[in-house]
Amino acid sequence: MTIKKILIIAPTLVIIFLLQSYLWVPTYEEQTRGNPKRLTKFITASIGDASMLNPILSADTASSSIESLVFEGLVDRDENLHFRGRLAISWEIHEEAFFYVNEKAAVPGLGEASSADIKALLTKAINQPGLYDITLQTTLKNIKEIAVLPSRSWTTQQPYQAAPQKGQTEKVEVTVDAPAGIKLMLQQVDQDLFENLSKLLGENYFSSFSSDAYLSFGKEISDEQKHTLGRKLLSSTEHNPIVTFHLRPDVKFHDGHILDAGDVKFTYESIINPKNLSPRISDYEPVKRVEVIDDLTVRVTYKRLYSPALGTWAMGILPEHLLNKTALEAEAEKRGKDPAEFSLRQSLFNRNPLGSGPFVFKEWKSDQYIALDRFEGYWEGAPNYEHYMFRIIPDLLTQEIEFYAGTIDNYGVQPHQVERLSQDPTYQHFSGPSFGYSYIGYNIRREPFNDVRVRRALGMAIDVDKIIKYVLYEQGERITGPFVKQTDYYDHNIKPIPYDPEGALALLNAAGWQRNQAGWLEKDGKKLQFTLITNNGNPLRKDILAIAQDAWKKIGIDVRTDLLEWSVFIQERVDKGDFDALILGWSMGIEPDLYQIWHSSQTNPYQLNFVGFKNKEADDLIIRIRKEYNHDKQVAYSHRLHEIIAREQPYTFLYVAKWTAILDKRIVIKQQNDEGQDVFEAIKPTKTGSYNFYFNRWIKLSKAPYFALDG
Amino acid sequence: MLAFIGRSFIQKIVTLFFVSVISFLIIHLAPGEPSQIDPMNPKFTPEMVERFRAAFHLDEPLYVQYLYFYKDLFTGKTFSWKDNRPVLGKIWERFLNSLSLFIVGTILTWTLSFPIGIRSAINRGHAFDRSTTFLAYLLISIPGFFFAYLLIISVVSYFHVPVIGMVTFGLEGSSAIRSVMDRVWHLFIPSVLGATGGVAVLSRYVRSQMLEVEGQDYVRTAKAKGLPNDQVYYKHALRNALLPFVTMFGMILPGLIGGSVIIESIFAWPGMGRMAYEAILARDYPVILTVNFFSAVLVLAGTFISDLLYTVVDPRIKL
Repeated sequence: MTIKKILIIAPTLVIIFLLQSYLWVPTYEEQTRGNPKRLTKFITASIGDASMLNPILSADTASSSIESLVFEGLVDRDENLHFRGRLAISWEIHEEAFFYVNEKAAVPGLGEASSADIKALLTKAINQPGLYDITLQTTLKNIKEIAVLPSRSWTTQQPYQAAPQKGQTEKVEVTVDAPAGIKLMLQQVDQDLFENLSKLLGENYFSSFSSDAYLSFGKEISDEQKHTLGRKLLSSTEHNPIVTFHLRPDVKFHDGHILDAGDVKFTYESIINPKNLSPRISDYEPVKRVEVIDDLTVRVTYKRLYSPALGTWAMGILPEHLLNKTALEAEAEKRGKDPAEFSLRQSLFNRNPLGSGPFVFKEWKSDQYIALDRFEGYWEGAPNYEHYMFRIIPDLLTQEIEFYAGTIDNYGVQPHQVERLSQDPTYQHFSGPSFGYSYIGYNIRREPFNDVRVRRALGMAIDVDKIIKYVLYEQGERITGPFVKQTDYYDHNIKPIPYDPEGALALLNAAGWQRNQAGWLEKDGKKLQFTLITNNGNPLRKDILAIAQDAWKKIGIDVRTDLLEWSVFIQERVDKGDFDALILGWSMGIEPDLYQIWHSSQTNPYQLNFVGFKNKEADDLIIRIRKEYNHDKQVAYSHRLHEIIAREQPYTFLYVAKWTAILDKRIVIKQQNDEGQDVFEAIKPTKTGSYNFYFNRWIKLSKAPYFALDG
Repeated sequence: MLAFIGRSFIQKIVTLFFVSVISFLIIHLAPGEPSQIDPMNPKFTPEMVERFRAAFHLDEPLYVQYLYFYKDLFTGKTFSWKDNRPVLGKIWERFLNSLSLFIVGTILTWTLSFPIGIRSAINRGHAFDRSTTFLAYLLISIPGFFFAYLLIISVVSYFHVPVIGMVTFGLEGSSAIRSVMDRVWHLFIPSVLGATGGVAVLSRYVRSQMLEVEGQDYVRTAKAKGLPNDQVYYKHALRNALLPFVTMFGMILPGLIGGSVIIESIFAWPGMGRMAYEAILARDYPVILTVNFFSAVLVLAGTFISDLLYTVVDPRIKL
């Protein structure tokens, strides 16, 4: 019977054909140990693909990790988290401060004073600093130069709220007859300049300056609007910090084009161009202008004091010659798009990036891999690895299998796997505190969390050390405040809240909560009861939810818990401030700027101070930290802020998780000593918790080396 | 016939319209924002959120967004929000990747199910039938991801060859035949996995269809007139038992665009399922909606083809 035969032969043939393909596939052995070229490749695995390989457009981890190899910024952080020059050799920060002469104000000893009088007064004071108190002395010593700016007038069109209820804006013609001004060149940034100068010029000299008086309007608008426009157009004082970067000469892009100051300016302009929708725009909003002084000098002037500014220049620099207007128009033309609508976001550059970093982009296969080659012309010397591969393997278990087989060198190893692998002699493992922390946040607007004793007691009832031991497999550390633990801003003298359920109960008793007959805590006949929520899909938080609920139940608090899908959790509960207590985490930058998360102005719905923390001293410190350019002063302010937040306990600070990494022991650091010989060193994480800081010097050897220091 | 085609065409268009409206509403009304908008990032100011929303037309009323989306889709101008690539290009690339998996999986399913099903039906109640029944239920009930891990771990530890990805990583520069065979090997394991469920279910269908037909008068007649067993089964019985499967063939069409999230994720296969799943997580509306639209089209086309095939294979049915 032919049909019968076909039915049997067809599947047999198909299966035989499929099975025989096994014979053609190289084994793992052939791919790894049998392949000497494997040693020149570093292969890492990621669960997600990159989105756009353009440092100004993407903010996801996968893209950033590639961008950091292909592009390079002006500065970055060294092992101790201090700034070090990359594309910039050096930089200076100074300040230009500016104020309008307040003709109406009475200056002590002068009465109403003109610009020349003020200049003379200031010059005199600078020459005799001994007459004044110490803070004013410092301020005066810092002034390098005084210049008078003559009065001038100009006319502009300004938008204003025509009908405030309806939110309509119209334009009004404004003529500004600005009075003369004084420009002060300062050696260093001084946030207290005007405050101190008012000791000299009169207490209200700056605050009584009325900008409305110098404005005339094309049509009648309300006084309030006049005032708003006045402050906008004619601010009585202005701080203009200036950063001047000196670029490294002869740095080349991967196509051989020399990188110069124009590229830096272009990168800045691309970020602030609203068409490009850059997620980094808020970092550069305080910039007033970027000027090219010469090929190797860039001057950045800021609108106001903004101390995180320097760190923003770690942003990778884009090649202007490939992305400027003519280049984009040519690309639009070639691809048949409308040049008017075509922006950097649409450019194919985002899939074929070209920068000046240590690795050259080679190939990107979506959801498969991104391949890079080393850049032979890298200014610091080419990396040891010839190739860098970024494989996308979405499943953690398959990643682990591939890692054992040796076809990837690095993967997102989980804490429990570190514990298992730490005994294995083939591997070296690293861990260190990450930049961020987990916490339980309390809604301070609500009973009973408006009482600091209750918040403290809730923290004391939870055994965080046990959480770290059993939930995190020891891959975590305690944290007491909102700063990154490995930075100077974090005050290590502040001790974590002890685990003490008895003490917690005593505190709650003191706050008026007594146990009733059923064992629940009660105050004025009301049970101590609330709901603790967190987002679904994070097993760690889910575990902490159960642990906290249990710990609090033990001291008589009736806690309900709820797990919510992430976007519901954020949109319905966090954004609207509709919660009692929640478990969340922050990932942080190195900068100690805490404005969005802790300032009292940020407690409205959809803002990030959703716990409603308000403290006047803290507000003041947050603003001062933001404006302070002196590291030591910043550290002092931060320590004080840390102390306040630790005392107030708006959060129960739980832990900072550790990042974990596993590498083959054969991967080492290779350097050349002075005699030109190769010297090998074991990879050690830097103090600040980065194991791949010296990645460019890594190499894989065919045999695991033995280091005397290993013991 | 023509009347039927015309009528059903109009019906399908109407259905498609409702599908597009409902899926659009569900996706837009579900909570969450595109991943480019990150409300928990301190650097994300409200002005930026507004600007992103305006760029994606999210600030417009829903019906305007609906019109924008379908206008873009039919003029081929939809862009993924994640990486700004044209959605159709992205889908085409993934479609080709998923297609090979789909074809091998389907071939395996359909070529294996029939001999197994027929044989169990013929030897009903005997050892072969019992063991295939047992195996079928085992394969139906085992979770796909678990079975995948078992397969991967055993292949990797006993045969020491890679199984994940579309090709062996770092194989560049080997001979053409070797690369082809390498691809075949990488197709093999995931499609076996994709086919197991199919074989288990389909072979059961074949078995029961055969058993049903076996009880019919014409089969008894064929047996009574002394035809050899093989001829009775493979000629008289099988032909009639095939009828429902012909229509099922139309139903596998939507599988073209579906892909399997679990298999594709575990095997690091850059296919449709994974792309759609990641688009959902990132709230990449243009990608989700386009995939959705195409699968609706394929489902409707599949049912249409099934109807037509029915008239072809069964002359008793008139449309």
